[in-house]
Amino acid sequence: MAREFQRGHKAKISDLTSGTDLYVGVQINAPGLTFDISCFGLDANEQLSDDRYFVFFNQPKSPEESIQLLGSQAGDTESFRVTLDGIPPQIQKLSFTATIDGAGQMSQVAPGYLRIVAGGEEVARYAFDGSEFSTERAVMLGDFYLKDVWRFAAVGQGFDGGLEALLRNFGGEVAEEEQQPAAAPQPQGGAAPGFAPPPGGAAPAPSFGAPAPAEPAPAQAPQPAAPAPQARQAPQAPQPAQGFAPPPGGATPPPGPAQPDVHAQPTIAAPLAPAPGQTPPMPPGYGQPGQPAPAPQAPQQPQFGQAPGQAPGQAPGQAPGQMPPGYGQQPPAGFPGQQAPGAPSPYGQPQGVPQGGGPGGVAVALQKYREAPTGQRWTQQNEQMIRVDLGADGQPILARQGSMVLYQGKVDFSYKGAGFAGRIVGNATGQEMQLMRCSGRGQVFLAENEAHLHPIELQGDAICVSAENVLAYDESLQHEVRRIEGHGIPGGALFTMQFQGTGTVIVKTKGTPVVLPVTPTTFADANSIVAWSAASQVIISSQVRLRRQAFPGHSGETVNLQFRGAPGNFIVVQPYEI
Amino acid sequence: MNQQLAGFAPTPVAARMENHGRSMVKIAMQSGQDIFARTGSMVAYEGFVQYEPNPPAVRQIAGQWITGEGTPLMKASGDGMLYLADYGADVVVINLNGEGLSVNGTNLLAFDTSLQWGVERVKGLAKFAGQGLWNVKLGGQGWVALTSRGAPIVVDCGSGEDETYVDPDALVAWSPNLKVKGKRSFKASSMIGRGSGEAYQMAFSGQGIVVVQPSEDSTDRLRIRG
Repeated sequence: MAREFQRGHKAKISDLTSGTDLYVGVQINAPGLTFDISCFGLDANEQLSDDRYFVFFNQPKSPEESIQLLGSQAGDTESFRVTLDGIPPQIQKLSFTATIDGAGQMSQVAPGYLRIVAGGEEVARYAFDGSEFSTERAVMLGDFYLKDVWRFAAVGQGFDGGLEALLRNFGGEVAEEEQQPAAAPQPQGGAAPGFAPPPGGAAPAPSFGAPAPAEPAPAQAPQPAAPAPQARQAPQAPQPAQGFAPPPGGATPPPGPAQPDVHAQPTIAAPLAPAPGQTPPMPPGYGQPGQPAPAPQAPQQPQFGQAPGQAPGQAPGQAPGQMPPGYGQQPPAGFPGQQAPGAPSPYGQPQGVPQGGGPGGVAVALQKYREAPTGQRWTQQNEQMIRVDLGADGQPILARQGSMVLYQGKVDFSYKGAGFAGRIVGNATGQEMQLMRCSGRGQVFLAENEAHLHPIELQGDAICVSAENVLAYDESLQHEVRRIEGHGIPGGALFTMQFQGTGTVIVKTKGTPVVLPVTPTTFADANSIVAWSAASQVIISSQVRLRRQAFPGHSGETVNLQFRGAPGNFIVVQPYEI
Repeated sequence: MNQQLAGFAPTPVAARMENHGRSMVKIAMQSGQDIFARTGSMVAYEGFVQYEPNPPAVRQIAGQWITGEGTPLMKASGDGMLYLADYGADVVVINLNGEGLSVNGTNLLAFDTSLQWGVERVKGLAKFAGQGLWNVKLGGQGWVALTSRGAPIVVDCGSGEDETYVDPDALVAWSPNLKVKGKRSFKASSMIGRGSGEAYQMAFSGQGIVVVQPSEDSTDRLRIRG
């Protein structure tokens, strides 16, 4: 059973599988984009000190073959085989990354995943999709790292600058480089050698001037396809600066099989460092023919403009053109044929953008509201809804009556009485809950009145929640009514529910709550307090002292609670006074 | 003063309907492209927009839906920007683009008049749902704006091995090709005040999606206020 990871989750590999021979598959797709998926073997300082451990399409395995690139298979865009035992001690971390090859941004990415398979069984899966990213061009998907034992972390961190930023992140020297504005110029630099060489290598500048307009264009055209390799080449170009000749030819076909030698070796560690030295030479090659620049620029724009898909599509239509006119003045003239609701073509054109604003369709519009993938027993769907997976373990949950909004599977809802004693207590203290028991197999979605929901996982510890803020909890938890005494409380005492044991309580708050650490001076309004930790051994020490706030003219019915407790205790307060 | 509020200025128009924040929809109106909107949902407009309550088209198509108070939809036409909202409910904007969608009547905020639409009573349940559960079936080329109390969740109906059961109060929309039936979970015990609180559900089966909201408040606020 694959364990679902969310961004930021970590786990020991040994908890996932006993094997050390792992298959790591990455699926990442986006319409019209291709990705370079690579694995960086980093040292203890998270630097790529040995570039033989940069495993990518041109260097498909590390020297001792503990990390191997397997290629696309079994639904994965790219896959690796990692033998943890074989990884040399200086490698402390493996970082799996995906870079967009060409123009594009990570927000376009379709739902994908990084998964770990051991012994023919998928043991972990970190799913992601474009909504987690924005304009990034590279993303670190996940890490294997050595901290006592090998662990896995789902990272999902994007890098604006694409591969360059990644390299910079991993390569030490790079940092000193005089600030080359990250993405844009760099790739240009990369592009430059592509077509700059001819002048340098073959022809003097003047002769270049003429052919330039024509040439750069084609030269450029194929290249956008392979910006990633370019980036890698960019650094290379420096060293062979004099022997320029090969790159141009080699540069264009992206992963040219012949190249590895050229490519692979000093690539990464060296990469950007030489660039500064390189920059000066570049301008002559690239900048001089200044005039041609505009031409090549044009095709480049989309490439590095970050707004790939839309840019071309939207800009023209949406820009200044359509709306304002259509909006204000000349409707009748402009759009004669429109009255008919059915007339799609005239309708479509003038408002081309507004209409076609996105790739239409119900599914697309609702994409961001999609159900979160199955994960643990309790999965938060959004701030206000939670899903519980009632599995084979047969553990029912108790939920507030009427809080079910949707369920799938064979789930039985039954009345859950508090029992005779419970009802007496409940009636007397006001801490009673109208509950139903959800049992069976399936998924139940719970929500109530747009309240924000917060799953709190108890592992033997305890929490106090006032009964009206409980939405649901595992039946395995014990709960009891606690009495808090003090002067000034209406009725003489205040009651809350204390939950204890192992399981999850779903607490609901109206609005975004604040969670405060308990310090010697922590106070809360008794009507707004939602919950507080009651770590079992601190039940007494995190005692609650009540104080009456006696403002003149104040009715005095507001009760402020003061909290005391060992560090690590907290209180939860909602922006709403019941 | 303006500067602090400048962040809330409308963004340039990029589509026929767009969200302005979570709970407002901005519609670019153009003559010839009219909109049906829930009566009372307009919060602001710019330009020349006219409103027609009780439009005959609605009377024709949604005759049964109309109560003594008049139709729940008005027609807006003209040129300009129209801003709609429903008491702070989240708004979801969809470009149907040839697909279809069934929407719970109270969750419908606005739609293009160019869409094909019809109103039907949800079978088997109308007797139980107090305010009558009406759903509006939409299809064709055009835009729809829905409301949802709280951020909605979209569930794939086909993903579960069984049917998907939904609390009708939390239901927002669903794919029209799904099969719908009512399910009553009355048991003897529920007759004596010991129900689970979930007296009836709607069961969906087939391939498609169901959209639910995290709230079981499906009162028609626009209607209550009139």
